[in-house]
Amino acid sequence: MTVEEIFAVLEERYGATREKQDKWGVTAVVSASYLHNAVQFLKEESGIKFNMLVDIAGVDYLTYPNHEGPRFAVAYAFKSVTKPVNRIRLKVLVSEENLNVPTITDLYANANWYEREVYDQFGIVFKGHPDLRRLLNHVEFVGHPLRKDYPAQKRQWLSTNDYLLPQLEQRLEELGYKVVQRSKEVETNDNEFLEGSIKE
Amino acid sequence: MGNEAEKPNIITSSLDFLVNWGRSNSLWPFPYGTACCAIEFMSTEVGRYDLSRIGSEYVRFTPRQSDVLLVAGTITYKQAPILKRIYEQMAEPRWVIAMGACASSGGFYDCYCTVPGIDHIIPVDVYIGGCPPRPEAFFDAMFDLQKKVKDESFMKQRAESVKEQLEMIKVKTAEAKCEAKTAIHEKVVDFKDFMKEKEQNLVKKAQFWKE
Repeated sequence: MTVEEIFAVLEERYGATREKQDKWGVTAVVSASYLHNAVQFLKEESGIKFNMLVDIAGVDYLTYPNHEGPRFAVAYAFKSVTKPVNRIRLKVLVSEENLNVPTITDLYANANWYEREVYDQFGIVFKGHPDLRRLLNHVEFVGHPLRKDYPAQKRQWLSTNDYLLPQLEQRLEELGYKVVQRSKEVETNDNEFLEGSIKE
Repeated sequence: MGNEAEKPNIITSSLDFLVNWGRSNSLWPFPYGTACCAIEFMSTEVGRYDLSRIGSEYVRFTPRQSDVLLVAGTITYKQAPILKRIYEQMAEPRWVIAMGACASSGGFYDCYCTVPGIDHIIPVDVYIGGCPPRPEAFFDAMFDLQKKVKDESFMKQRAESVKEQLEMIKVKTAEAKCEAKTAIHEKVVDFKDFMKEKEQNLVKKAQFWKE
């Protein structure tokens, strides 16, 4: 199965359209409802098994010249480890009203952090993600900084250092440990903690 | 003690000299290295340039035992609370060196995530330019800091701190007195009310029995 045949199958089964602007001609635009099936097809059924997820990238087309259609897009880049020449990219267009995209963490484990990053920087919600938190920015951060309407020099003061203890305790409990007692310094007041981000 | 220490005499000035001599020749740095400036600090520290020539060879990785907070590298907003906490944990006297363009001014990171100079968070004594600065520049900064330390007066600072403490004690005692007075006043008022009620009750009872 060559890449052309795979594109034909994608167009036939999942209603994908080939992106014309792509220089290498390896991008297919899929609707969000067919995304999971298309990715599953690429990983398991297609002749070239695209068993490596290279990247998930968010795109904001707000100030893009001559652009029509939804504002955001999420682009998935796949690669085959056995036949590294072959690459394919899927693209999902996301409108501002409905920011939901299905997750692919059940197929690719590394999609977990990629999707967290896209959620952090663009505010796109991945449905079914096991742990959708901010990855790079602080918990108190308000807004999504890589959106084009976020002023690039708008800075936000934070009151505390990052709050990773609940996750740590969760992991320890998964390993069979149990939290018996916390010291007073560790115990934080959630209301106080979230008040932090200072205005302007 | 306050008045005597404000005017320098032979004892206080020679004590100042002794203390400053000791402090300026044993400045123990706490390296808060987040970027390439920290690598440059390492080369300043070891063999070829040898920071121990001016008595700073002990790099302390705990804020409790160090005198100089050496901020080497970019500070993001996510890191700012940590840096401030470390500065607050350091025992006085403490000094801060902002090493490199990023720590002094934010450098070329003009964006939502980088602090434009650590002087927005903590007071800075010496700035070093460069990206990253050379070891010679770092030595220059250390000499500047030594000069600054030698200018300080230990006895004056001590007198000021004692004065502040005395004023604080005065204010606090005044507050406590005020509180005690109001409490006593309330109690007296309560007691008077209580007595009045009792008298009225007695009067009522007497009237009742008369009738």
